[in-house]
Amino acid sequence: MTTYLAPTKSLPAIDPITAQVIAGALNSIALEMGHKLARMSYSSIIRESEDFGAAILDAECQQLAECAYSTPLQLGPIPGYMRGVLKAMAEDGEEFYPGDVILHNHPYYGASHGPDIGIGIPIFQNDQLIGFSFTTAHHLDIGSSSPGSCGIVDAVDAYAEGLQFKAVKLYEKGERNRQVWRMLRQNIRSADIVVGDIEAQVAACRVGERRFLELVEQYGLDTVLAASEELMNYSERMMRQAIAQLPDGTYSAQGYLDGFLDDPDPTKKDLTIAVTVTISGSDMTIDLTGTSPQIDDRPINMPLVGTVDIAIFVTLRSILLDTALMEYVPQNSGLIRPIAIVAPKGCLANPIYPAPVIARCCPGNIVADTLMKALAQVTPHHISGGIGNIKVASYSGVVDEDYWVYMDITEGSYGGRHGKDGMDGVDTLYANTRNNPIEDIEAHLPLRVTRYELLEDKSGAGQWRGGLGSVRDIQFLSNGQMSLEGEGNKYAPWGIFGGKDGTPGGVTFFSTQQAATDLPSKFPYRKMRSGETLRTISPCGGGYGDPLLRSPQQVLEDVLDGYVSVEKARVDYAVVIDLERRAIDEAATVQVDPETARAFRASQPEEQQKIQELVNLWLKRAMNLTRLQTIMDQMSDEAEANGLTPEILQAILDE
Amino acid sequence: MKLIGVDIGGTFTDLILADTQQQQTWIHKVPTSVEDPAIAMLSGIQTLCQMANISSDSIDHLLHGTTVATNALLTHEGARVGMITTQGYRDIVHIGRHQRPMHYSIMQDIPWQAQPLVQRRDRLTVTERLDAKGQVLTELNETEARAAITTLKQAGVDAIAVCFLNSYINDAHEARVAELVKELYPEAFVTTSASIFPQFREFERFTTACINAFVGPKVKSYIDRLHAQIQPLGIQSDLHIMRSNGGVATAAVAAQEPVTLLLSGLAAGVLGGAATGKQSDRDQLITFDMGGTSTDIGIVTAEGFVEATARDTWIAGYPVMVPMIDVHTIGAGGGSIAYVDVGGAFRVGPKSAGATPGPACYGKGGVQATVSDANVVLNRLDPDHFLGGEMTIYPDRAFTAVQSLADHLNLNLYEAAAGIITIVNNNMANAIRSRTIQKGQDPRQFALVALGGAGPLHAVEVARLLGIPEVIVPRYPGITSAMGLLTTDLKHDLIQNEFLLSSQSNPQKLTQDLQALESQVLQQLTADGFTPDQITLERWADCRYLGQGYELRVPIPAGELDPAKLDQLWRQFHDRHTVEYGHAFPEKIIELVTLRVTGKGEMPKLTALPTPPPGTLEQAWIKTTETYFLVNGQLDQYATQFFERDRLPLGAQIEAPAVFFQKDSTILLPPHTRAIIQPSGNLLIQLMPLPIEEKRQAMEAVL
Repeated sequence: MTTYLAPTKSLPAIDPITAQVIAGALNSIALEMGHKLARMSYSSIIRESEDFGAAILDAECQQLAECAYSTPLQLGPIPGYMRGVLKAMAEDGEEFYPGDVILHNHPYYGASHGPDIGIGIPIFQNDQLIGFSFTTAHHLDIGSSSPGSCGIVDAVDAYAEGLQFKAVKLYEKGERNRQVWRMLRQNIRSADIVVGDIEAQVAACRVGERRFLELVEQYGLDTVLAASEELMNYSERMMRQAIAQLPDGTYSAQGYLDGFLDDPDPTKKDLTIAVTVTISGSDMTIDLTGTSPQIDDRPINMPLVGTVDIAIFVTLRSILLDTALMEYVPQNSGLIRPIAIVAPKGCLANPIYPAPVIARCCPGNIVADTLMKALAQVTPHHISGGIGNIKVASYSGVVDEDYWVYMDITEGSYGGRHGKDGMDGVDTLYANTRNNPIEDIEAHLPLRVTRYELLEDKSGAGQWRGGLGSVRDIQFLSNGQMSLEGEGNKYAPWGIFGGKDGTPGGVTFFSTQQAATDLPSKFPYRKMRSGETLRTISPCGGGYGDPLLRSPQQVLEDVLDGYVSVEKARVDYAVVIDLERRAIDEAATVQVDPETARAFRASQPEEQQKIQELVNLWLKRAMNLTRLQTIMDQMSDEAEANGLTPEILQAILDE
Repeated sequence: MKLIGVDIGGTFTDLILADTQQQQTWIHKVPTSVEDPAIAMLSGIQTLCQMANISSDSIDHLLHGTTVATNALLTHEGARVGMITTQGYRDIVHIGRHQRPMHYSIMQDIPWQAQPLVQRRDRLTVTERLDAKGQVLTELNETEARAAITTLKQAGVDAIAVCFLNSYINDAHEARVAELVKELYPEAFVTTSASIFPQFREFERFTTACINAFVGPKVKSYIDRLHAQIQPLGIQSDLHIMRSNGGVATAAVAAQEPVTLLLSGLAAGVLGGAATGKQSDRDQLITFDMGGTSTDIGIVTAEGFVEATARDTWIAGYPVMVPMIDVHTIGAGGGSIAYVDVGGAFRVGPKSAGATPGPACYGKGGVQATVSDANVVLNRLDPDHFLGGEMTIYPDRAFTAVQSLADHLNLNLYEAAAGIITIVNNNMANAIRSRTIQKGQDPRQFALVALGGAGPLHAVEVARLLGIPEVIVPRYPGITSAMGLLTTDLKHDLIQNEFLLSSQSNPQKLTQDLQALESQVLQQLTADGFTPDQITLERWADCRYLGQGYELRVPIPAGELDPAKLDQLWRQFHDRHTVEYGHAFPEKIIELVTLRVTGKGEMPKLTALPTPPPGTLEQAWIKTTETYFLVNGQLDQYATQFFERDRLPLGAQIEAPAVFFQKDSTILLPPHTRAIIQPSGNLLIQLMPLPIEEKRQAMEAVL
């Protein structure tokens, strides 16, 4: 069990004005670090996909500020990285000196996974260690068994994943540790790019160090720390207030992973993620007991610190402190104080060394998704239906005795939301990277993106429908190889509150003759010849609410935009569309016996109208008894929330 | 020459008339006629002509800054746009870069999905494909293109954007489809992605083209109408319109490329600030334009204003990939609301009381404390003289609003008011840091030019936070954009992607490509009516280390290129990289990504503003009263002199603390500064060091 405790120390009282001023300054520092890292770096995974993080920590590894521009999965783990660094240094009897630069990527010592290399600089004021400047970034290669740093889905243990660095000093006392740099170059593919990116990380950390020292000189260390503490308390208060508004109780949900669908071993596929949320006042415990056991020799285990905890924190924050709905709450260590995480040792979400973890990204998104499903019970207006998970692919080849390596992150989609359809073709939950422009890929790599568009007619039906995933085809223009890790080929994103499930994704290989072969959601190193193509299909999000409640006009708009077919509009939404007229066909004919028909025709127009209304009402009841019950229940829930008791409601309904 | 500049903003239309021979200038400000902005413009011009006692047909040039395009985009009230794109890539503008604008939000809206510029039903695809070298992989299927155009015509779109993959390197297919549109649907406003800005990165380029189409019909009809309405004035030459790139364009070009007008007014503001600095012989400037709801920050160096990198420019949540002045806008202004949020933090802005209800002191129903209210409480705004006395303020309402906030924060009234000012000033100082220090520029080597209604009220304290030694306040801080219109040239930017490596440089090809771009620019400028002696050309290269994703701009040596000149270019890039990021990698290969040629046609310019009147300081003096200032963290009352700006005599030197009132702004001179009235009419404020040492010693003695 991991518990995060608030530190106890006495700092001077801080006035709210200085607190706000220092908050702004810290924020600028982290932003500047990220800005410089992104611009100086070489690999598209950092500069285009923005798969990096930057932060300033205090001496106790509490995160004081983050670079809002970069991805949550890189930002969140930074305190954990630094704690891992401290642990490793203590174990080996190492010490920090001014001028040190630390390299760290050990997933059992706080790192998210091996390719996400952390670079940290201890910040000294005179002789006192006052904090750390830290960056993380996803690197193209870390010397794994096959090229690239994703899709290494056949790694049998932590050693097979590539180089492991446990608090290794790249610089000591300002002196460049040349032998370490040489070793990096000798053991990493595409070393120019990777080492260049590490240099960019070091430069960004130095900017953070310099700026933090300037801030401390200007205001004094105690004042900066007191302001930071106030900021953390603020974030903690915001989180606690949000949790306290939820009813106490225990809420559970389960999610499912494809795992290795092509593996004969049943313990390697169809895996369960179990989440139980317990809310008690302003505290929340997330218990993952019931999650499938770890897989000893396949890398979809998830480090508890660095992946699982981040999936949980990011999801809670996105739901409970949604930036679109409220003030921007500073991202710092205060946010996680009210939250405890429990994960039994040896399960997928808390593996035991040396179980491999390099392909933990997509499973982690299911932890996030399942947590959202559990919270749907208590905060139905702030969640989405099930998300379509993402995929990460590595493409590579050899030119002039060196590798080119390219990583492509394929987006997923969101489920429907209260009052809004799901987001289409986006990165999901704890990941928020960017795709690479097709024109950039084609100008620089022997690859061609031969198709990239939305999937039609596949999203989960609902009052607010799921988002659309995308289809992306990438063709090799010279011989090479690739590998892929993804999720969501088997289990469709869940619908909620009567919304229908979305659709699973897929992976298809096309030969040069365009013969198609379906592949599982994960495959290791695979030779590719010039002209061969890989298609990735993202899952489409689950629906929210009963599709019959969707406004027919919206269904018509969806049909006109090609999001939903005429057929699906009729079957899922009971809306008949006349494409010719681009309109809804509102009329329905009901057969009655000839006598009744004659009597009806003979009656007066006013009478006819009354009869029609009655029939209409009766038909509604007859067809939708169950649905009507749902509507009534929903109405009474809402009314109750607004202070209406069931009794008053009944009285109104009777009237 | 007689020049008129008209800057139409959301609230006011500012006008300036300059007679360059007589060195005379007249200014005028009228409320904007929102329904038809031309009405206020015309009546304003007529008033100016009367003031100057000239007839309108003696005016040589009319230059205009407009927010028509910006408003259409911000309010999402544009044309129904159709898009014709490459088959297989229908949703590039919908998927975007697949990143959510907010990291931590389930309920967010993605602008291009929630408010598409083109609905999916109007995005049609045709068979065609180019590779990254511009070679045709699949021929354009004209039958499909014709069918698509017909379908869009029947659907009733007003504008069509033609956007094909890799068109930045070969625009033949796009151009052909545009021709077909002109043939089959001549009424439609048509635009191609490569003709706007032929730069790689399809989402950004396509979106830029779609914005052009989205705002196109509206802007075009606005310009056409304006044209017709000013016709009777008999102005000597064509109407010119300010573009985001800091140059003007002829009305015809502006109407065809309205996406280049999105920062029209803001760019003019930065230019006005630059002109102000020049009058005071300063060329390293930070322009600081603070209004009611926001503050715009621009940077000017000896090389001119700083331009935004094409990848960093977002407007209304959409990427816009055209050359633009780097203007950074933050939500901090006189109307910014101060409040305590649910978590207990003291915040100022970006929420704003706007024009209605406005700050509490406006007495129009606002009850929340704003930055203006804090200034009233600290006695920096005098009710009798605020904005020339034309705007009534109610100090008691400001006191009530700030007091209620103070109670909430457990501070006294004046601490709370000073706190509001401190927070908003720090927010603005941080914004300036992000444009200077983060880009390798030291703000201490700049002068701050204070613009807008509220800029001069906050500028000196903001300068103090940044260590900026001087603040310049122009004669008319509230109409600087209109003034900026009269300080620029006509400008065309042409670019071409090159992807040339320093390891395989080919000076001949580069020279040829440059010459081709240059002759194209010359042609355009000649068509605009310029003679060779009025034309200047600049050539630039956007470079990066091979593999990087962001380019830095360096000048290309003039004339025929040879290996030595290229070496010079590469060296300049390493230097630029060091300035920007603090590091260079001299052993790495450099990639020249984009060539750019800028052609300028010289326009007549504003020469000087009228010299301030002679007289004595006493004549400008209003009163001396107690005002609050925070100095060295200590909030105290100071005896402060209030003056009328219009009566300040040339050469006068005023010791702080003081406040100057004028019709369009208020200037604050906090303690330990002094102001000098310069011949240009500028107020040059110098910041003296704070007596920190004395204070500290005194405090230590007490302890």
